[in-house]
Amino acid sequence: MFRPPFAILIVAAPLIAGAVGVNPYEGDSGAIRVGEALFRSQCAACHGPDAKGISAPDLTALWTSGATDERIYRMIRTGVPESAMPPSGAPDKQLWAIVAYLKNLGAVPAWPHATGDPDRGREVFAVECARCHRMHGNGGRHGPDLSNIAAIRTRETVARAIREPSASVTAGYRAVTLVTSDGARLRGIAKGEDAFSIQIIDANERLRGFRKADLRAVDHERTSAMPEFGPADLSDAVLEDLLEYLHRETATDGSAAPPEPSPSAASE
Amino acid sequence: MSPNGLGTAVALLALTAPIAVELLAQGWQDDVDYPADPGVTYEDLLEGLSVSTQWPTYSGDYTGRRHSPLTQIKPRNVHRLVPQWTFQSGTTARGRGFETNPLVFNGVLYVTGPNNYAWALDARTGRPFWEYRRDLPSDLTYGARAPVNRGFGMLGQRLFMVTLDAHLLAFDRTTGSILWDTVLADYRVGHAATAAPLVIEGKVIVGISGGEYPTRGFVDAYDPETGLRIWRFYTVPSPGERGSETWPDDAQILARGGGATWMTGSYDPELDLIYWGVGNPNPDFYGDSRPGDNLYTSSLIALDAATGTLRWHYQFTPHDLYDWDSAHVPVLADLSIGGKPRKVVMVANRNGFFYVLDRTTGELLLGKPFTETTWAREIGPDGRPIVLNDGSKGCLPDMWGGTNFMPPSYHPALAMLFVTARETCAIYAPQEPEQLTPGAWNIGGVVWVESDQGYGALRAIDVRTGERKWQFRYPTPTIAGVTTTASGLVFAGDNEGNFIAFDARTGKPLWHYQTGAPIWGAGAVTFMLDDRQLVLIPSGSSLTAFALPDD
Repeated sequence: MFRPPFAILIVAAPLIAGAVGVNPYEGDSGAIRVGEALFRSQCAACHGPDAKGISAPDLTALWTSGATDERIYRMIRTGVPESAMPPSGAPDKQLWAIVAYLKNLGAVPAWPHATGDPDRGREVFAVECARCHRMHGNGGRHGPDLSNIAAIRTRETVARAIREPSASVTAGYRAVTLVTSDGARLRGIAKGEDAFSIQIIDANERLRGFRKADLRAVDHERTSAMPEFGPADLSDAVLEDLLEYLHRETATDGSAAPPEPSPSAASE
Repeated sequence: MSPNGLGTAVALLALTAPIAVELLAQGWQDDVDYPADPGVTYEDLLEGLSVSTQWPTYSGDYTGRRHSPLTQIKPRNVHRLVPQWTFQSGTTARGRGFETNPLVFNGVLYVTGPNNYAWALDARTGRPFWEYRRDLPSDLTYGARAPVNRGFGMLGQRLFMVTLDAHLLAFDRTTGSILWDTVLADYRVGHAATAAPLVIEGKVIVGISGGEYPTRGFVDAYDPETGLRIWRFYTVPSPGERGSETWPDDAQILARGGGATWMTGSYDPELDLIYWGVGNPNPDFYGDSRPGDNLYTSSLIALDAATGTLRWHYQFTPHDLYDWDSAHVPVLADLSIGGKPRKVVMVANRNGFFYVLDRTTGELLLGKPFTETTWAREIGPDGRPIVLNDGSKGCLPDMWGGTNFMPPSYHPALAMLFVTARETCAIYAPQEPEQLTPGAWNIGGVVWVESDQGYGALRAIDVRTGERKWQFRYPTPTIAGVTTTASGLVFAGDNEGNFIAFDARTGKPLWHYQTGAPIWGAGAVTFMLDDRQLVLIPSGSSLTAFALPDD
């Protein structure tokens, strides 16, 4: 995942004299809706329609990464020098509406403690999830890294992503099957694509690039590469265990007990 | 001293001491192999691309076709095209592109860049002779949002460039020094200037940006010698003038009605008419405060070159609510329509329609959609679109439109126009602006763009019928310009950074090169140098030259 360029932001911010103040629209649902529309028309080309990033950074975890309303406001106002991020001359209200929208995206309420057993969840994670998902330096690389998932997504969102993974697939994690000139089928995750080439991570986690001219077909899958875990595959009780484990390991707000360092994580 | 150094000395002295120059030139004559720079004449501009070694005006010539007669690079050898050099500008148009069109004259490229940088480059190597950087004010309005520039105009020993603080500059072509600096408009109320000037005999024609601010657009003509204004045509009329009946009877609304003119026009020397596209009315999305057609916004205007008076207009999008500027290069051609020869002007418009108009009278000859737009599918007998969906029946093309300012190209032998089309889905949510402040963004609402539903395409349009002959799909909506050659090639590009050569007849991609940044706004420029055909494309912050291998 991309990290927001806060080093640049901190350099840029002091150039603006005077206090900007607090966001008058924080939590205002009407302003958040306007902010979302403004974001989609003005920002989404680079930051993605869901703010999860395309050519520019993922903006869904700004506040959990230490941002403040004022910093984000100033960043939009002044742009980021020597980057593709332009300054904005839009009225204050529009900028604050965008800030409210972005903050709402990242405003994940602390996961409630639930009945699940995180230790049992750990075993489930190791068997069902870790082949594709990384956490604190361990695990696979086909799916998104889950090291801070409880800080950036609600418990309901994560539960739904497990039950119905195809409902929302993060950009950069869509599955594709390439048919080579000799008819072999190669499934992977599409990381990039243009009119003439495609860049994937293959089943063995190798980064591989192909010219489309050398392929017989490029079949994008409509559904997520992640299997669906319905109640028959993963009972409600086991799902609770898994969520409780994710909460314990990945919350950053102190709502969960601090994770015990695992030897392999400490070695990195 | 090199011949080029001599040129600099001669040009500097020329300003003050013509006699000394003569003596100096004579003294060096034995050492100089080639003749002195003769200067760019009006005849050079008229000849356009028929002189193989030049590209003397934005579109190559006055017709706006971007069609080169060159044939060294052709469908059967274009796969061998290789980079010759890359020039790094060191500056970027944040959130936009390197939209410039380099001019070529006597082996030298004259290039403008973002943030009002400019250069003279050696066409053989991409090495600069000089660089210019404008000291811009810190309180730019439109110029801060879109710090782009689309190129020079040139005449004699001079280059002409507009600026983000809405000035027009004349440069000494040899040294890059400024000869005069004329204010076009007050940038602080929302203006900027970005389009390449159109130079005709005795006049430098320029347009202005600012349609998203409460401003009033115009087309101006300036004296190339003095920088003094010769005429101005306001694209939104004054109270009582013709066209004002399409607006509320309110001088204040007319005074900030929009109608920016930010793309270079075309010129018919025989009719002595200038064709220029006019932008959206302001506020962009909120129309209740400006009932009526809002002439001459989102229109094509034909102006008498001598006086700047309006000869005719055609409005593509009456009472525009979608920011569908008609900021396009009008393409001039001579077609046989219904067995009769017609002088036409063609526009693939941001509203998704392709139009053919009689360029003497403005009569509509053909209007057909070249996109999947649901806004309208036909033009009525009165010349107005029959609007089927004002946005209440599902999504419309977004505010960047079915195409945009990126120049298309016309191949006369094939009678095909090649245009970069955009297919998008947007929901418009107009809102009444709360207050109008000079210098403050004023678009009247927000637009929801479903980014994941969009794509781009290069489309070939048969200009006699408006039918699509072929298309090549790009992964995302694209803002790349197009250039054709007589050998049957189309040079275009995409948002993913590929610079691509297509077979003009079939649409088959024959060659591509990944430049690393979107091809954005600019089209290729091609010319002969030392008996080799060069092709230039700007991308990101770089300009790259391609040619066939030297062996």
